[in-house]
Amino acid sequence: MYKIIFTGPVGAGKTTAIGAISETPPVATDVPCSDDTRAIKATTTVAMDYSYITLEDGTRVHLYGTPGQERFNFMWEILARDGIGLILLINRDHPNPLQQLDFYLNAFSEFITQTAVVIGLTKSDLQDNNDITTFQDHLYQRNQIFPVFDIDARSADDVKILVHALLAVLNQ
Amino acid sequence: MQIIKDIIETLQNKSPNKVIDASTQFNQQLQIILKSLLQATDNINAALISSADGIAKSQVAANPMDEHRFAAMSSALLALSDNLSKEAGKGTAENVLIESKQGKIFILHAGPHLLLTVFTPAAANLGMALAHARQAVHQINALVEALTP
Repeated sequence: MYKIIFTGPVGAGKTTAIGAISETPPVATDVPCSDDTRAIKATTTVAMDYSYITLEDGTRVHLYGTPGQERFNFMWEILARDGIGLILLINRDHPNPLQQLDFYLNAFSEFITQTAVVIGLTKSDLQDNNDITTFQDHLYQRNQIFPVFDIDARSADDVKILVHALLAVLNQ
Repeated sequence: MQIIKDIIETLQNKSPNKVIDASTQFNQQLQIILKSLLQATDNINAALISSADGIAKSQVAANPMDEHRFAAMSSALLALSDNLSKEAGKGTAENVLIESKQGKIFILHAGPHLLLTVFTPAAANLGMALAHARQAVHQINALVEALTP
């Protein structure tokens, strides 16, 4: 079974990205926000998003999205089990996206070492600072070279680029 | 439902400029509901009220519990159970029951924004535990309704 995990901070667009490429109505576990997240959006994922896509060769790829908040990190472990790779979405509109990048790369470091990761920068239309090279330079300083893309999480084509990039890295 | 009447009375007696600590006050009232739940039955030995998005609001337990983790896990489990139930054509889940050798755990909706998780000892009577838990849910709902303008 091919299983890809979407993760990243609250509001990065994980639920949106899975919804954008999903072939069926995705399983979503959105509930009303009661914490600081309420300022960003009305609902948040508390268990997981799930859907799948079928590649040109007929292979089905299962897509699992994690909750963003750290209090749900038990779900990160559960969902990452048997995953083939990670798609990390980082919201460029956040005040400190590099710190968020570090946090999720560290939280999933073991999984990334065993598999692969590609990074999608979202909400780029809302933010002129921190362009893609900032993230590439930051990764370089971490001694990590991962594919980074500017994407719109609402665009099926953009999200598919991430999936195909991840599969390409895995096939190397 | 005397307990609810008392709570509402206490809250209504507060003048508006004292409502600064409304949420602290609310959490204290939740604490009263949980304490009376544990006093009312031996079939429940710990209980936790949390928000639908997994933040602990109030808990009572004989032994310390990691309420922040339990709150997040409760919301994840109940949300997923709701989905399974809905997709199976059975509407939203009323509660989730986890049966283990050392005891049972119920997770119940308490209105759209809160959940109640109760923990039973190994020898608990399941029906009695659930009945008491549902009564606490009614009390929580009544409290929330009374405070909703």
